[in-house]
Amino acid sequence: MSTPAVFGRYWPADSPLHRLDPRTKILGSIALLVIVFCAGTYPALLVCAALMFALFACAHVPAGQALKSIAPLLFIIVITALLNLLFVQGGTVYASAGPLAISQAGVHAAVFLSIRLALLLLSGSLLTMTTTTLDISDGFERLLAPLARFGVPAHELSLVVGIALRFLPQFVDELHTIRAAQESRGGGLAARRGGASRLTSLIIPLFTSAFRHANTLSSAMEARCYHGAVGRTRLCPIAFARRDGVAAAVLAASLAVVIAVTALT
Amino acid sequence: MSLIDFDDVAYTYDGSSYVLRDIDLRIERGSFTCILGGNGSGKSTLAKHINALLTPDRGTVRVLGWPTDDAKNRFFIRSKAGMVFQNPDDQLVASLIENDVAFGPENLGVENPELRQRVTDALHEVGLQGFEKNETAALSGGQKQRVAIAGVLAMDPDIIILDEASAMLDPRGRHGLMKVCRALHNRGMTVVMITHFMEEAAEADRVIVLDGGSIVADGTPGEILTDENRLRSQALDVPPAVQLSDLLRQRGVPVDVSVGEDELVSDVERLLGAHGRKQARATGSPAEGIALPAQTGGRSGMPAGTFDHANAPAGGSSEAGFPAGENVPGEAGFPAGAGASPEAGAAATDGAASDGKAHALVFDHVSYSYDARAARAEGKRRRSRTRKQDASPATTEAAAWGSDPNATWALRDVSFTLEDGAFLGIAGHTGSGKSTLVQHMNGLLHPLSGRVLVGGTNIASKKAAAYARAHVGLVFQYPERQLFAATVADDVAFGPRNLGLSDAEVDERVRRALMMVGLDYDDVAAASPFTLSGGQQRRVAIAGVLAMGPKTLILDEPAAGLDPESRENLLDLVRRLHDEQGLTIVMVSHNMDDLARLCSQVLVMDQGRVAAFGTPAQVFADEAGLKAIGLGVPFAVHVANRLRACGCDLGAAPAGGLYDRESLADAIAARWRAAQADDTRAQDADSGAAGDADAEAMR
Repeated sequence: MSTPAVFGRYWPADSPLHRLDPRTKILGSIALLVIVFCAGTYPALLVCAALMFALFACAHVPAGQALKSIAPLLFIIVITALLNLLFVQGGTVYASAGPLAISQAGVHAAVFLSIRLALLLLSGSLLTMTTTTLDISDGFERLLAPLARFGVPAHELSLVVGIALRFLPQFVDELHTIRAAQESRGGGLAARRGGASRLTSLIIPLFTSAFRHANTLSSAMEARCYHGAVGRTRLCPIAFARRDGVAAAVLAASLAVVIAVTALT
Repeated sequence: MSLIDFDDVAYTYDGSSYVLRDIDLRIERGSFTCILGGNGSGKSTLAKHINALLTPDRGTVRVLGWPTDDAKNRFFIRSKAGMVFQNPDDQLVASLIENDVAFGPENLGVENPELRQRVTDALHEVGLQGFEKNETAALSGGQKQRVAIAGVLAMDPDIIILDEASAMLDPRGRHGLMKVCRALHNRGMTVVMITHFMEEAAEADRVIVLDGGSIVADGTPGEILTDENRLRSQALDVPPAVQLSDLLRQRGVPVDVSVGEDELVSDVERLLGAHGRKQARATGSPAEGIALPAQTGGRSGMPAGTFDHANAPAGGSSEAGFPAGENVPGEAGFPAGAGASPEAGAAATDGAASDGKAHALVFDHVSYSYDARAARAEGKRRRSRTRKQDASPATTEAAAWGSDPNATWALRDVSFTLEDGAFLGIAGHTGSGKSTLVQHMNGLLHPLSGRVLVGGTNIASKKAAAYARAHVGLVFQYPERQLFAATVADDVAFGPRNLGLSDAEVDERVRRALMMVGLDYDDVAAASPFTLSGGQQRRVAIAGVLAMGPKTLILDEPAAGLDPESRENLLDLVRRLHDEQGLTIVMVSHNMDDLARLCSQVLVMDQGRVAAFGTPAQVFADEAGLKAIGLGVPFAVHVANRLRACGCDLGAAPAGGLYDRESLADAIAARWRAAQADDTRAQDADSGAAGDADAEAMR
């Protein structure tokens, strides 16, 4: 089967970014979102882009791979750009048709927001490309741990997320097979009368398979002595190290630079 | 005290019908026990009792002396009796291998650095050292099962239970799994294995047969597996060596009934022994020479197989049929059979053979890659990949265990021609390009270069691909997983409705398709497909494809994951679709015996290339060549070759050029009688004449 592009699929490598504490990376990617949102001018965006480029280089992820990872969500960027292009008005009008007009402000908004969105997506992708699903869910669990006192099932939530992410590539593969099989039975043709729609012919087998997987997986976990968070140890215990401090400092400095550049330009 | 102790155990899922009854069973430390039984015999239920996933309704189960029905013991019992499940995709918890292997010991509260050490050791024991940071999703089925075993081993268990863990693996994956089990047993692990495969049961030191929830047989493999009648009555397979020795005994050859192929071969060699070799020397015929079928088209009136490469796999030479390099044959080679039409050439022009027979399917220099852009830049990528592999030894090692998933080309210059009414078998490893190949046959995939012709039409265009889909039905692996409708009738009707047929016509098609797969319309049409048995679900799924009215039916491992009885029934169904309904069949299979038995032609794929194509007799004549790419030959052919290799002359090749079990037994029996006659003549001159006549008659 082909491996379809999945948003932010983990990129195995041994880089400084991969070694960061997942909590740092989760909070860091939130910080990155803030930084990108704070960039209000093109020079500030350029700083953000440079930062993003440096971070991916630091994560040993090739630039092409980084861009490929956000390709599945490209449609969001395109739609946003189109909406801005058509509906934001102001400045010189380049072309118009009825109520729609392409103006200078529209072009600016489209370009600016596209870049900003791409950077936002890249910062999300950076997190998932450098952090295994288990680490992400562990990180969330630890971040949410203080809330466990108030009845938030932090461990269970993180387990759910971890398993969902583990099965994601598998479901993508299965969906491809199901689609090919239904297509072999003419499922892709326009002619369809009264019978099941194309969607049900895909969704129902996928759900059946999910339930079947869930059934065995729960037995398999039980067989391996799973009994909740109590008394569990960790192969890779997460702990803050000096590099986490360095990362925090880099992000804080970047935020300051971006705000300064935005204010000055 | 036994390690595992079942005392009068009974269990029921629904409170009325007992899945297990009167089970009394003791399993000793360090033993290797195999549990056999048909579907619904209760063997998986039994296995789940050993690690307290289920607890008995009556009686007690003790593991290491601790009763399983006491909830306090369960945690300890599960840590000591690890279990590996059937489906490799269901039981891995984590995305990275090391996290998955660590899952069990983490639950047990094992601390670092012991935890890390256990993960390393466990992966080492299953032959996956250095794979810690690899993703579980990228592994082959066999590798996933070995990761699952490592996950159990990391818990430091005394018992390992494999619940049909090999059922969904290809032969190579099964082989690897068995190797690991053998090694574990040798170092003292207690192994309990549930399986359908007799070659696995033969390696155990104890075999238990379950039927209807009770133990019906219990003994050594030599005792249990040699009882052909009982095995058949329990819907189990009979080991091929047992079958052949039974056939020989029926013919009066006094061999011992043995489970292992080695014993049988040495037994036969001893019986034919001196005589066979003497004669071989006398006549000067080289005993090792593999007899090529003298005639062509012995099966189904097919012309001789068309070889893409000028070299037919001629006797003896292992290299000939298997071009190793990436050389592209400039022009289609000459067919092996003298006098046959140069089909490949004719096909390339109009897709119709010169003898007027229609071509169901023509592949003309087809190449395909899942990553079209990368394929064009292959050279560049390959260099950079080599660099990457230098950095992580695990990736290089991965290629040695399975096909490289990153290999750019899925098909490389594939050419062959298939006549109407043929039965083509496709063999090859997982990842050799078989699935990609069959998806080209009905236009789901389009070649990057080359052409695919269906019934003489190039199916490159969208419209032609739609035509191909109506004429070429494709049944995927585990097709029952694609069932979706509320009733069987609705599901089967999906295809015909998509074709835009009238309701009356759809209904007619549904009835016909269900009849073709041997299901009764009135019984099943209104039922939900999900309430049927696994074998029946698969038939419904096949009916759903047949309802499209295809002339050619492609089945990707139609018998995968079925128990021996359902397997046999399903293969019989495929055979009848070919013989009685006149369908052209393409069947992907790992089972060489099935291919030899059913097919008119066999295509062997290796790393996206056609490694061999011809009649079964032609393809299986080259055991060495097939072995070089990790494939085998049918059992009878293999035994015949082994006998020849140790100097036993079996005489002329059978009609059709390929030994099956019957014809091999005949040949051995004839030689044995000749040997007997010779001995008698040597001892007693009077009876010599009769013996000579006898021997002559046999020859």
